[in-house]
Amino acid sequence: MLTREGIARVLRDAGVEVVGEAGDAPTLLRAVRLTKPDAVIVDIRMPPTHTDEGLVAAQTIRAEHPDVGVLILSQYVEPHYALELLQSHPERVGYLLKERIFDVALLIDALRRLADGETIIDPTIVSRLVQRRRQSDPLAELTPREREVIELVAEGLSNRAIAARLFVTDRTVEAHVKQIFAKLDLQADTDSHRRVLAVLAYLRAT
Amino acid sequence: MRGIGYRVNAGARLTSAALAVGIALGAVSIARGPASATTYAGRSPLATALTVIAGLGLVVAGLTKAGARPSARGRGWRVVAAGILSFAPTYVAWAGGPPLVRSIAAALTGVTFALVLDLVLRHPTGRAPSRARSAAIAAVYAETGIAALLLALVRNPYLDPSCWANCSVNSFLVSSHPALVRTVDFADLWFVAVAAAGLLGWCATRIARGSAPARRNLVPVLAPAAVIAAGVIARAVALQASPVEDPFDQTLFTSFVIESLALTALAAGLLYLSARDRSAHRAVARVVTTLDEAPEPGSLESALADALHDPELRIAYRVSDPDGYVDPRGWPVDPGAPASSMTITRLARGADTLGLITHRGAVPDLDLQFGAALRLGLENERLQAQVLAQLNELRASRQRIVEAGDRERRMLERDLHDGAQQYLLALSYELRLAAGTARAADDGKTEAILSAAIDDAELALAELRDLATGIYPAVLADAGLTPALRSLADEAPVAVEVHTERSRRYGSSVEATAYFAVAEAIDDAVDRGATAVTVTVGDDDHRLMLALADDGTARTAPPDRIADRVGALGGELACTPGECRLSIPCA
Repeated sequence: MLTREGIARVLRDAGVEVVGEAGDAPTLLRAVRLTKPDAVIVDIRMPPTHTDEGLVAAQTIRAEHPDVGVLILSQYVEPHYALELLQSHPERVGYLLKERIFDVALLIDALRRLADGETIIDPTIVSRLVQRRRQSDPLAELTPREREVIELVAEGLSNRAIAARLFVTDRTVEAHVKQIFAKLDLQADTDSHRRVLAVLAYLRAT
Repeated sequence: MRGIGYRVNAGARLTSAALAVGIALGAVSIARGPASATTYAGRSPLATALTVIAGLGLVVAGLTKAGARPSARGRGWRVVAAGILSFAPTYVAWAGGPPLVRSIAAALTGVTFALVLDLVLRHPTGRAPSRARSAAIAAVYAETGIAALLLALVRNPYLDPSCWANCSVNSFLVSSHPALVRTVDFADLWFVAVAAAGLLGWCATRIARGSAPARRNLVPVLAPAAVIAAGVIARAVALQASPVEDPFDQTLFTSFVIESLALTALAAGLLYLSARDRSAHRAVARVVTTLDEAPEPGSLESALADALHDPELRIAYRVSDPDGYVDPRGWPVDPGAPASSMTITRLARGADTLGLITHRGAVPDLDLQFGAALRLGLENERLQAQVLAQLNELRASRQRIVEAGDRERRMLERDLHDGAQQYLLALSYELRLAAGTARAADDGKTEAILSAAIDDAELALAELRDLATGIYPAVLADAGLTPALRSLADEAPVAVEVHTERSRRYGSSVEATAYFAVAEAIDDAVDRGATAVTVTVGDDDHRLMLALADDGTARTAPPDRIADRVGALGGELACTPGECRLSIPCA
């Protein structure tokens, strides 16, 4: 398919070793078992029914191979799918919109973060959740800097990555996160990767 | 009984009753006098009583039937005849009585069984039975007649070694043939025994195979008939062992007692069925009075079912558009082949079929019981069913149109993702390649143009995505109403609160209708300057319920587009200026 070949070419050009390509879920699962890759990129729509095969395959891979990261490519700016994925396996999973894949730097960064055990949520989804109209908006309590931090947390960045992104120290980010969680009355463990799920679920529910 | 459509011959009934009583009294005096040692009836006062009760019982049952419906009249007279002829064996033994009477009585002795067999094989409808049964009935009558005739012509009682009740007279004797008499006696005995065995088997099978309601019609007649048949067989076996019909023989007397009791039971069964039929007729006649002025569809059906104690009774009305049969609520039905226990009665006006009533057959000729008012009621309900059938068709067609629209939307959404989006992605990729090449060649101007093109392609992708979601959100099909409504809330230009008790799946057309109703309601609220919309989703087992409230200015017109969609699924929409509530039937 057009896109799969394109991605493989982009990745090879960027020096990533592409160990296999598959056109459907069973072939994909066989290839993963055989080649044990660092990460897998999966289209959310897959044959034969083009409904939830991609999501199911991603969850299967995460359940069977805890070391293999899974990046879902989707055409939907739809928090539901991302949350579905995170709820079953909060580590080493990513949900990106399809158009991101040709931004080579972003794609390579995402694969590296997956290999590091991080989580990746497309910024478009996060900003949609953050910008949602709310009747009584608890996010209004946050300072502009805190809003930036919570968005990056929701995108799955670690404190260190956030610090690098905002040109501040790790300790400053830690303080911001603590402050945010206190303001929003979030009980989650601030150091765990589960905080991504906690923040996303919070943004969706309020 | 006048006025229900048939006439009762009261004179004939009275004459028959008087005749039967006279014959019975005669039988008593014969049995208690000259025949006390030669007939079963004469053996004891109790035996006499049994004979009289069985015979007169049948006469009473027959006269009751003969006074009922025309279709039952013939059977009624046959039962009367069976009752009167059951006294024949007693008259045969009338020592000192007129020889002609004794001779006639001797010739008629076998007819009671033939009449019983005829009655039973025609039960319960009374109409011409199957060809095999007609043949059986005809064969038994023919054999009985031939045997009686032959014996009348050739039996010389003086020369009959096995004579008992009558060893002296035969007024019809033409010439004596003792050997022929023995042969005919033997053949007659076993023919009747075989016929009785057939009757017994048929009764047992009918009762065993019949449904519970059918059995209620069968058992009162078929069970006594089976016992009579068993008695006939027992008598044949006993007579084969000792050909003299001695009433003091224990086996023979026992079979006589059993047969008499069974005949009495048969009479009682017939009386019971007549009484039940009659009360059913009265109930049918009263049905009209139980109906309201504007009866609900189906109330006639249930009133008839109540009246006849037949909960399975169904009326199928003949309608022309759609062509076929419908129930009183207008839903198509196939009255084609009813269960074996059910009967179909056709309701007609002239040559036209108005409808078919499927019922247990407790009332034969049900349609004849319907008075003018009931017929009018049926006509009325048929017209109502016709209208309802058209309405149902229309509703179904509306629903099909909505569902077809939803299917189109889904296909369009997929086509956009699988087609246009793929090419836009490819375009975006090629543009990035080109931009990379330009950068490598230090062609800043081209790179700038290509970057702008990349941005445009991304915008086009985002636009396309929004368009596709607006046409049909994939999450609605994938995950159901609640996640889809949350996404709708995410994108809405006003604050939308979604309250759901639980997240469950409904049918796809129900979900789509609810989703687009909410989308429509949000747009409408925005138009009316609302800042907040509250959506509450609830359901019971049969309906999905939505409450849509907002703080916009009061609604001036009802939301037609929502109403159309909801109406197409048979749902309801009720709006006040600030709130709309809708409910959609769901499985």
